[in-house]
Amino acid sequence: MPSIYINIFLAFILALLGILVYRSHLISSLLCLEGIILSLFVLITLTALNTHFTLSFIFPIILLVFAACEAAVGLALLVIVSNTYGIDYVQNLNLLQC
Amino acid sequence: MTYVVFLLSVMFVMGFVGFSSKPSPIYGGLGLIVSGGVGCGIVLSFGGSFLGLMMFLIYLGGMLVVFGYTTAMATEEYPETWGSNVMILGMFVLGVLMEVGLVVYMVMSDGVEIVVDFKNMGDWVVFEGDEVGLIREDSMGVAALYSYGSWLMVVAGWSLFVSIFIVIEITRGA
Repeated sequence: MPSIYINIFLAFILALLGILVYRSHLISSLLCLEGIILSLFVLITLTALNTHFTLSFIFPIILLVFAACEAAVGLALLVIVSNTYGIDYVQNLNLLQC
Repeated sequence: MTYVVFLLSVMFVMGFVGFSSKPSPIYGGLGLIVSGGVGCGIVLSFGGSFLGLMMFLIYLGGMLVVFGYTTAMATEEYPETWGSNVMILGMFVLGVLMEVGLVVYMVMSDGVEIVVDFKNMGDWVVFEGDEVGLIREDSMGVAALYSYGSWLMVVAGWSLFVSIFIVIEITRGA
């Protein structure tokens, strides 16, 4: 396992922990989601560059396309929450609380 | 100088620790921009110049600009930076210590190496018939999206088109 891959896997795990552990803002979790996508992009690009498997360079571009869609939908939901409550604190999302 | 890619990947992880310790979102965006730039440098040093350009243009120049504007809309009056809250500082220091421990372990066990020799001309020089051609493997791979991956191109384009209407529909109903 090349040592650079270990660092990129570590970055992925750090961003994953960042999504799973909430603090006050919702947009911080969306930023950690973008971090996951970034680490996956770098990982698949390095794999394709090292193995010289030329056709698999399609996958980072497609990953970027669907990451853009996902970021757009996530930000739209955040805009709705911010319009309703004034700020995007996670503790405001308590309508279904028993 | 041989270990410059390893140092870049260490800076990549430091940037990730910077926004994963969750300061106020504008500082998290700063950490993501730094990580994006350093990740582009890693991709460039392995020879993928087209994909590095893709990352700067589309990821940093498109998606993060949108994130920056949305953060400016939904931000608070006194943003928390890495030094103002002891929780954020503690998480950041813990992440930095973990990465330093990993680097020390790798240097001590002498496992830091370069995978590919990027001066190897056999990667991008092709010999066909009597002539010698030149291809860039990452550009040619992405260009295959139009020939072999044409259905994937249609699906991706259609999903981008539909997501515009989805976003309009989400932000309309309130």
